[in-house]
Amino acid sequence: MLKFENQPGLRFERGVIKSELIKSVGWSKGTDFCLLNISFSSNTFKYQSLTRKNPPQLIIEVREGKKPDESLKDDSRTSSFHRENESSELKDPREIRTVVIDPGHGGLEVGAKGKFGTLEKDITLQIALKLKAIIERNLSFRVILTREKDVDVSLENRAAVANNNRAHLFISIHTNSSYRKEASGSETYFLSLNATDEESRRLAYLENNSVEFEERISGGSEDELNMILWDMAQTAYIRQSSQMAESIQNELNFLLQTPNRGIKQAPFKVLTAVSCPAVLVEVAFISNPEEEKKLLTEEFQENIAQAIFRGVLNYLKSLT
Amino acid sequence: MTKKEITLLGVLFLCLVIVMYIFFRNQVKEAPLSSETHQKSERKDEEETIQKKKILLFFPSEEDSLLHGEEREIISSSLLIEEARQVVEELLKGSNEGYISPFPPETKLRELFLTEEGVAYVDFSRDIQEKHISGSSAELATIYSIVNSLVYNFKPIKKVFILVEGREKETLGGHINLSQAFKPEFDLVAK
Repeated sequence: MLKFENQPGLRFERGVIKSELIKSVGWSKGTDFCLLNISFSSNTFKYQSLTRKNPPQLIIEVREGKKPDESLKDDSRTSSFHRENESSELKDPREIRTVVIDPGHGGLEVGAKGKFGTLEKDITLQIALKLKAIIERNLSFRVILTREKDVDVSLENRAAVANNNRAHLFISIHTNSSYRKEASGSETYFLSLNATDEESRRLAYLENNSVEFEERISGGSEDELNMILWDMAQTAYIRQSSQMAESIQNELNFLLQTPNRGIKQAPFKVLTAVSCPAVLVEVAFISNPEEEKKLLTEEFQENIAQAIFRGVLNYLKSLT
Repeated sequence: MTKKEITLLGVLFLCLVIVMYIFFRNQVKEAPLSSETHQKSERKDEEETIQKKKILLFFPSEEDSLLHGEEREIISSSLLIEEARQVVEELLKGSNEGYISPFPPETKLRELFLTEEGVAYVDFSRDIQEKHISGSSAELATIYSIVNSLVYNFKPIKKVFILVEGREKETLGGHINLSQAFKPEFDLVAK
């Protein structure tokens, strides 16, 4: 049982609980205090808790003590504005287990540059590491980065990291740059299929060679057919990718208090070969000196990572 | 046809065009052996027959994230490629109406080809890639300024493939896929 100070705007959102360990989560509200009541079906469990700011939240991680293999992670996220319990909904093995985060650029390929010398490759890695930490704290997912250091990784290899690890989600992080000095704000992209004719040609090929497709898509050799098949991998996930993009963009709009910029479509090289729902987030404009300064702060990076995380959660919720 | 075969055909076609280009250029150089007076009268004739043609170029603007049309005149030619070349050359000169030039100033047009299927191959000097500012918005502005300008002005051009130093490149600055022919995006144009 947990006791909170009652604050204006504090409300309880009940999530569906499908946990073997947590029997129920209750909530009662007094004039000065609120009580969060979690009841367990077993006495053998361990828990960890931590509090975080922006948005204020209390994270309680509960694990069953006797069965470490199953690694039940029943997280109860609580904040003074909303309380969520979605991770327990996502334990179904068919559901999302691996997230690949792609920090844009790296090594000699520095990406866009800010007026004060900030490099896109550095900011994208910092935000990606923060997002990784948030996801690992809140969900029992495996999180893989396409690079953890300042190294060159080809665009094809970034997609390959997702495909070889059988990723369920792919999130590429970038900072934008424009010729317009005033350009500002966040944008979330998914792949546009510009070369429609080529796609239909490939699909026709696939229909006639479906057995080969099954056999070869899992292979890693560099023969031409394989390259073609990997090339078009994202075409099968456009609808899901657009939904994830929308969820993330909504959270970014809310965070930055900007009017809805909508989601965008463009032929991004890094997304084309990814065989799972995939988006590319342009978190802010490094070419705009004001946004460049913001991008350098821990607080802004953390807020952006949080917003992307909430967007991913909302997307996952919409699947159930 | 496999991708390799297409590339091979492309290379052969390129070689043929280059050979033809050299051949014709030599012929033109050999031609003006006639007297000066003759040359002068020829020039006069040319000036009289020069016909201008209005075209529309698309540039990004400081005002919004859209492309804006700017009218320009080029010299009419019976060769579509010649007119298309002029459109790209005019784009590279930048705007006269205060719009942004989405090209590094050193960028040169090397060649322009048109396939029977209506794909224009536009080959730029390395500057377009090496000196590009990188960034998704900047790359999109550069690409669609070219693609929209060519497709808008010439009906036979349906798609545009951007080459750098005669080769297919992955991206300009790490974002937008250049290994494909682009269709125009007129949604990016200000109404």
